[in-house]
Amino acid sequence: MNPLRITHRETPAGPLLRLSGDLDFDQAPELRRQVDQLDLRPGQCLVVDVSGLEFCDSSGITAFLTARQRALEARADVALSAVPANLLRVLTLVGLDRVFTLLPAGGDPARPTGQDTR
Amino acid sequence: MCRTGGVPDPAGDEASTHAAFTALLEDSAEDLYESAPCGFLSTMMDGTIAKINHTLLDWLGLDRRAVIGRMRFTDLLTVGGRLYHETHFAPLLRMQGELRGIALEMKRRGGGRLPVLVSAVIKHGVGGEPLLIRITVLDASDRRAYEEELLRRRQEAERSRAEAERARAEADEARRQAEADRARLADALAVLQRSLVPDSLPAVPGLETAVYYHAASPDQLGGDFYDLFPVAGDRWAFFLGDVCGKGPEAASLTSLTRYTLRAAAHHDPDPAAALATLNAVLHERYTAGGNPRYCTCVFGIVEPGRGQGPTTVRLASGGHPPALVLRADGRAEFLPTPGGMLVGVLPGAPIGTAQTVLADGDTIVLYTDGLTEARTGPGRDDLFGEDALRAFAAEHAPAAPHEVITALTGLLKRFGDGLGDDTALLALGAPATPSPAHPARTS
Repeated sequence: MNPLRITHRETPAGPLLRLSGDLDFDQAPELRRQVDQLDLRPGQCLVVDVSGLEFCDSSGITAFLTARQRALEARADVALSAVPANLLRVLTLVGLDRVFTLLPAGGDPARPTGQDTR
Repeated sequence: MCRTGGVPDPAGDEASTHAAFTALLEDSAEDLYESAPCGFLSTMMDGTIAKINHTLLDWLGLDRRAVIGRMRFTDLLTVGGRLYHETHFAPLLRMQGELRGIALEMKRRGGGRLPVLVSAVIKHGVGGEPLLIRITVLDASDRRAYEEELLRRRQEAERSRAEAERARAEADEARRQAEADRARLADALAVLQRSLVPDSLPAVPGLETAVYYHAASPDQLGGDFYDLFPVAGDRWAFFLGDVCGKGPEAASLTSLTRYTLRAAAHHDPDPAAALATLNAVLHERYTAGGNPRYCTCVFGIVEPGRGQGPTTVRLASGGHPPALVLRADGRAEFLPTPGGMLVGVLPGAPIGTAQTVLADGDTIVLYTDGLTEARTGPGRDDLFGEDALRAFAAEHAPAAPHEVITALTGLLKRFGDGLGDDTALLALGAPATPSPAHPARTS
């Protein structure tokens, strides 16, 4: 098991959480705890950079959904940034690629990949 | 024989040496009596002390004048010693005429006790009549201390052994209790597990069925589920899915999911409607409360042709891997249900649908992602995957449901430790009808 590391940075658009390691049953609660502590304001976008994730199971996806719920309650948005291919495959399979805004690496929340041309 | 002055007379020398030793060792019999390293006393037959030596007086801290003719032997003894004297010592002495090494306790001045070993003999007169009692007293303090130490150690050892036996008995009892608890828990889990997935599938006229369930952990309730049951008309509903999480929470979600789908199917046997109901229930129950829980699920309605027409299958899927169809002609293909989403996440979540016709000998297989996500290499991304699954199915097509399940079960076993998740497999097939109209194919 790779330990989950979460770094937090504030940007003009909103909080940026950068994840690395494994987001699994044992460690997903830590992401939830950190998201609960965020000061999300209306109109902001919480960006979760998942480029460093080595593993993400259904518990991790639940944590993303919890973060989304939290953002919606604060009338903010949520986006996943730099999604690795394997996680993108799973998100697409379960239809969540249409629920989360997906950003390229270092992307601007204003320009989601879903609207980019290939 | 002549004497020479310088040579002593041997016989005279021997005598003088003997005399010298005698003088050196014992000045007198009286001194020996008084100062011997043991106590002596003589009593009349009634116990009155007639004579006592200095050693014993010294040990007991008594004055001779207070003893002679004034005290009896029993007056020197402790209460316990006196009792023993009355009940054993005196009667035995009268009977046997002598006693050796009897353990008694004597009183010391100042309240102390002196453990002693006493020997006694009765002196008789010429006519055989008893005259007096001669008693020897040995200080047994050291020996008594040694014996008490031995006794104490033996008692300690016995106490330790008793404690160890009690501890072992308690441990045995605790283990029996734990085993009983575990057995009861296993029974409860088995009952709950049967409420999540049926023990066996019902027989469906005109349809062959087979199922397999692999539980990743034998003591955990599974997070996968399936079912098959009749609805209105000649139609049968079936579903298979996978809830998020594990353990009792996942089991309660599974239970809610299963019975919601069963009820929904009776209300409206349209696959998408059943999943929409489940989506609304899960969203209301969990996600809206800030505790997102969801499942992926394929729900289907099958109407067996039973020789009168085609066997039709209509499917709806929410975020679940696509069903696999093994055709009677040897092809294997996925039946995509695009656009579906995890069930329970969003209000009014989109649901993907598909339909197909099963010709005689066609088999449709539903599975959970324990199969496709099984690891086949050292890396976490070395997964079996959908492409390999389709290739595997193509190798085995055509195949009846029980043949497909047998082949896939063998595959799961070959994954070994790579199979990390619960895995459910459900296969439904239109029976092949071996007849001249459908000759066996050769590849």
